[in-house]
Amino acid sequence: MDTTFSQWAWLIPLFPFAAFLMLLAFGRGQRMLGVTLGAASSFAGLVLSILVLIEHMTDGTAYYQYAFKWLHFGSVTLNAGFEVTNLTAIMLVVVTSVSFLVNVYSAGYMKDDERISVFFSYVALFSFSMLGLVLADNMLTLYIFWELVGVCSFLLVGFWYSKPEAKAAAKKAFIVTRIGDAGLLLGILLLYWYMPDHALDFVRIGNVFEGNTGVIAAGVTTWIAVLIFIGAVGKSGQFPLHVWLPDAMEGPTPISALIHAATMVAAGVYLVARTFDIFQASQTAMDIVAYVGGFTAIFAATIGVAQNDIKRILAYSTVSQLGYMMMALGLNSLTGGIFHLFTHAFFKALLFLGAGSVIHAVHTQNIHEMGGLGSKMRITTWTFAIGALALSGIPPFSGFWSKDMILHTALQEKPFLFVIGVAAAFFTAFYMSRLFFLVFMGKPKGDHAHESPSSMTIPLVVLAVLAVVAGFIQTPWNDTLGTWLTDGAEKAHGGGGLVMVISAAVGLLGLYLGWLVFVKGTIARDAVSSRAPWLVRLLERKYYMDELYEMLLVRPLRGLGLLLNLIDDYVVDGIVRAVGGTAVLFGRGGTRLQSGQIQTYGLVTLLGIVILIAAIVGRRFW
Amino acid sequence: MLADLPILSLITFSPLLGILVLLLLPKHRSRWLKVTAITATIIPLLLSLWLYADYDGTKGGKSYEEKATWIETSLNKEAVGEVTSYTVNFQYHMGVDGLSMPLLLLTTIVGVMAALASVHVKKRWKSFYIWFLLLEIGMIGVFLARDVFLFFVFFELTLIPMFFLIGIWGFMNREKAANKFLLYNGIGSAIMLIAFVVLVATAGFSVEQLSDKQQINLSYSGSYEVISSNLTDPGSYVNMPADQNQGQDNPLYLSERMRWVIFLLLLIAFGIKLPVFPFHTWMLQVHAEAPPSVVMIHSGVLLKMGAYGLLRFGIFMFPGVAQDWAVALAILGVINILYGAVLALVQNEFKLVLAYSSISHMGIVLLGIASFNEVGLNGALIQMISHGFISALLFLVVGSLYERTGSTELKDLGGLACSMPFMSGILLAAGMASLGLPGLSGFIGEFLSLLGLFGSMKVITGIAVLGVILTAVYVLRSILGITFGAMPERFGAVRDVRLIEAVPMITLLAFIVLIGVYPAVLTEPMKHGFDVLLQQLTEKAGR
Amino acid sequence: MLSSYLTMAAILFCIGLYGALVKRNAVIILLSIELMLNAVNLNLVAFSKYGVVPSLTGQMFTLFSIAVAAAEAAVGIAILIALFRARGTVNADEYDEMRR
Repeated sequence: MDTTFSQWAWLIPLFPFAAFLMLLAFGRGQRMLGVTLGAASSFAGLVLSILVLIEHMTDGTAYYQYAFKWLHFGSVTLNAGFEVTNLTAIMLVVVTSVSFLVNVYSAGYMKDDERISVFFSYVALFSFSMLGLVLADNMLTLYIFWELVGVCSFLLVGFWYSKPEAKAAAKKAFIVTRIGDAGLLLGILLLYWYMPDHALDFVRIGNVFEGNTGVIAAGVTTWIAVLIFIGAVGKSGQFPLHVWLPDAMEGPTPISALIHAATMVAAGVYLVARTFDIFQASQTAMDIVAYVGGFTAIFAATIGVAQNDIKRILAYSTVSQLGYMMMALGLNSLTGGIFHLFTHAFFKALLFLGAGSVIHAVHTQNIHEMGGLGSKMRITTWTFAIGALALSGIPPFSGFWSKDMILHTALQEKPFLFVIGVAAAFFTAFYMSRLFFLVFMGKPKGDHAHESPSSMTIPLVVLAVLAVVAGFIQTPWNDTLGTWLTDGAEKAHGGGGLVMVISAAVGLLGLYLGWLVFVKGTIARDAVSSRAPWLVRLLERKYYMDELYEMLLVRPLRGLGLLLNLIDDYVVDGIVRAVGGTAVLFGRGGTRLQSGQIQTYGLVTLLGIVILIAAIVGRRFW
Repeated sequence: MLADLPILSLITFSPLLGILVLLLLPKHRSRWLKVTAITATIIPLLLSLWLYADYDGTKGGKSYEEKATWIETSLNKEAVGEVTSYTVNFQYHMGVDGLSMPLLLLTTIVGVMAALASVHVKKRWKSFYIWFLLLEIGMIGVFLARDVFLFFVFFELTLIPMFFLIGIWGFMNREKAANKFLLYNGIGSAIMLIAFVVLVATAGFSVEQLSDKQQINLSYSGSYEVISSNLTDPGSYVNMPADQNQGQDNPLYLSERMRWVIFLLLLIAFGIKLPVFPFHTWMLQVHAEAPPSVVMIHSGVLLKMGAYGLLRFGIFMFPGVAQDWAVALAILGVINILYGAVLALVQNEFKLVLAYSSISHMGIVLLGIASFNEVGLNGALIQMISHGFISALLFLVVGSLYERTGSTELKDLGGLACSMPFMSGILLAAGMASLGLPGLSGFIGEFLSLLGLFGSMKVITGIAVLGVILTAVYVLRSILGITFGAMPERFGAVRDVRLIEAVPMITLLAFIVLIGVYPAVLTEPMKHGFDVLLQQLTEKAGR
Repeated sequence: MLSSYLTMAAILFCIGLYGALVKRNAVIILLSIELMLNAVNLNLVAFSKYGVVPSLTGQMFTLFSIAVAAAEAAVGIAILIALFRARGTVNADEYDEMRR
């Protein structure tokens, strides 16, 4: 296939990688080098990605794939390579654009940190891995980058390593996602042994599973799909492996925007979309995806209502929105999932960067200690408002269109999930209005707040624009994205006026309720907590998930470890010592016999001879 | 050029040169002694790199073989008929193939790094380095020997230097650890010797018909080729002409039960070295008590001798029996992985965490072996090499760490990333390699081993994958405990690494990354390492 | 004829053996050893005269053995005297230096 830019797509991840290497080698003490290299490399990546995207927009069938033998022995060949499809192209743009903006933003946000060049090198490494993940043409390559983004996330969450919370959060992030990764790994193993020719590339996976031709038994297909989904659950913070994502907010805020809102956590959704043929071949797997997604959406949204940390609220909102994406995929709507991923990347990055701007100004993350920032930080306030409206699903902001599409699919496929989705949308709107009104309205709690420097506000404005317009690529009247992404297989779900009205109404209702409670005061703030304190407590403690894990996994494992340690010391090593002891005992007994009395020896010898003779002679007569 | 040189002997015995020079040096000139010893380890490294560059995997390593008659004893039996001689002979037979080439490189590289790391040794440098170089001779010899008796001699040669290195230069309980090491490994060697004697006395029998006359030479030999061809190809048993070969009625034929017993003996002998649960307790003490630079050798290379022996003698000589044992091997591997990982989780001493992690990682080697397919066997070998580099790196860091902090107890350490960013970075990278992060060598070994095993035993692989999670848990717990968190006051003045410590760290890390990114550096020479074995296995399956 | 010599020798040997194993006095033990030696000598002479293939070798051997026994007795007594000087006892039970 003749392509102009796609064949150079492999350069996109290499820009940040080069930046990473240079920072690693020369970064020490060079404060400006990190900023420059980070921004420059991601900008180069962005330009090339946009060119690739344009190429794919103009020619819907543009496609480029290249693979080489990475590991080869005997009859076994494992390939590595990259592939540019329409889906990859759009993901490339999402990742590079958010990455570029975050790099610019961090120049201001991290200005005073002494390890700024380390920070930028980590971000560059992350961008490299994430872009590699997007471009990967087979499961193994994808898995490699999948793990690398995990480790970058770990490094960045634990960036302020001397804080115990950061250390704990980094550890948790790594281990919990690792649980998911183990599932994905098993999925790949299964795929390797069942695929014809042990092929792992997405093209052939697609061919084999498409249309459910029965090359691979239905049970195995379900297993593969479920195992891959477990990987996605870990990475995308789906229930029950969501627990790491809110804790990961210990990292610097730009990181939360880049990794834990826009790109890496969406990798799970991307993975499911990439292997969509496998899922489509198994209805069971699809149902699992849909219900897990739906449950996560409502589950996290309710927790978000009772949190007090600005970043944690956003984190739970991310979990909830990822749940929406998964639900869309599970309802057989690839476009819905990817569309929501696309819009969510912009408005959630916007919200996080806005939150970062707020934190930068007031040096706290507790929303009850903020207030009245609206007049002091105009740009931040306005852009944050746009992000909040987009997230709450208010037309015509981007979040409305993508959420509407998902809800519409749900209504057609599984009305039960539609109800859940609507309820989650209501909670989303409510906690966003709570967040917004508490932070930006009301009485100022401190007077030192000020607007952030332009390096931070410009990305906010850019993202705000994107958060407004990104939704128009796919509306009920215009299915550009769907047709382009799925080669026309998925049509836009036409009309759907009712769904639009419901979803907009629910969003507005949530906002209005928030307004009543937190601005007007018509409803007392403790209306719920005074009547059902247990409910508030339950939500505040996040349904006791952490405690549950502690009780069910961590403690038993530690207990088992201690028990085995005792066994190792006393039983396994004890047997060894016992064997040694027995030998020593025999030796002691032996020394007793060694009396030194030559006459005793003589007597014993004599006895021995007599017995010998008796035996030899006796044998004759037997 | 290379073919004309006795390159293998040169590699093996070049440390002797260092020993000679060391003997001539006065024993208080520590700087001279160190420089000499380090130089002496570099020579075999350069030679083996040369060999690697010249090595052609497709020939299966036949081009480098060195043979010389070593021990030849005539058995006092009168010649009957055409039989002209009747002897026991052990040859000095060295060779290199796809299985030993990577291990040879590992040994020489880790040797240099450990010699560099030995700058922390505080006393009796002269005898330390002499033992050290002697140990290196033994290790190289083990991987190159092609005669069971020669192998045994080299294998034993590693024990004695280790005994003294642990016993004299170790930590508090060094003497106890040294004793336990020697006893345990001595028992292992004894069991191995029994197995070898039986092998020599049965399958080592060969008949050589001289072409010019009707003369026949009968001999019992320890030659690896003779024994393995006799064992694996019953058709040509003891090299007898077809009409005289009575197959199973042949008195020298090893019955199925006998093979089973010998395999078990070899499994125990090498299992102690590997170590396989429940024979692992000795190596915990060695890890904890030996000086870190010696542990680099021990964990990096000596443990691999167990795996190598198991592969070379257990699996290659008895592919049939081994395959019947595959499930047992896999279960042992899984036990090793999980048991090591769970125990590593609760240790409070960093060296013990690493010791248990070694047990866990060697379990992966067992899994790869148990898979009995190309992928898994290659995975096992890569895992051996990779674990060698990783654990060497980890103990290198432990040595430098102990120099500065005076403790490796987890509760005493913390926040070191603040005062020692470079070393913490290396430690974190090594930990990541250990937990199997792609892009670093640990992943390749782990992935291929699991991939291979999954082809034959799905459920066991599923359980083994749990180890992947647990590994992450204990690695992060211990390493983050050391590097992250608030820094105690007393570490404020601690300095980061010096150049002489940084060089081996970066070198080892470079190899870890190289294997992780481009594993073909290892798989290329191995190309024909497993062909023969797999061919035999498929033949067996076909029969 | 032969059997009476042999019986005699056997009785002598047993007396000697008994003394060597049971007596505490080192001098008596030495004497008992002499007795046993002589019992053997008696056997040798008897076989050389009445054996299946009579020959002088037996008698030669006896002479040889007597000579050796004399030397041995001399050395033995000498050691004994030295021991007695050092330890002040001839009780064989107390000669257990090697064990310590």
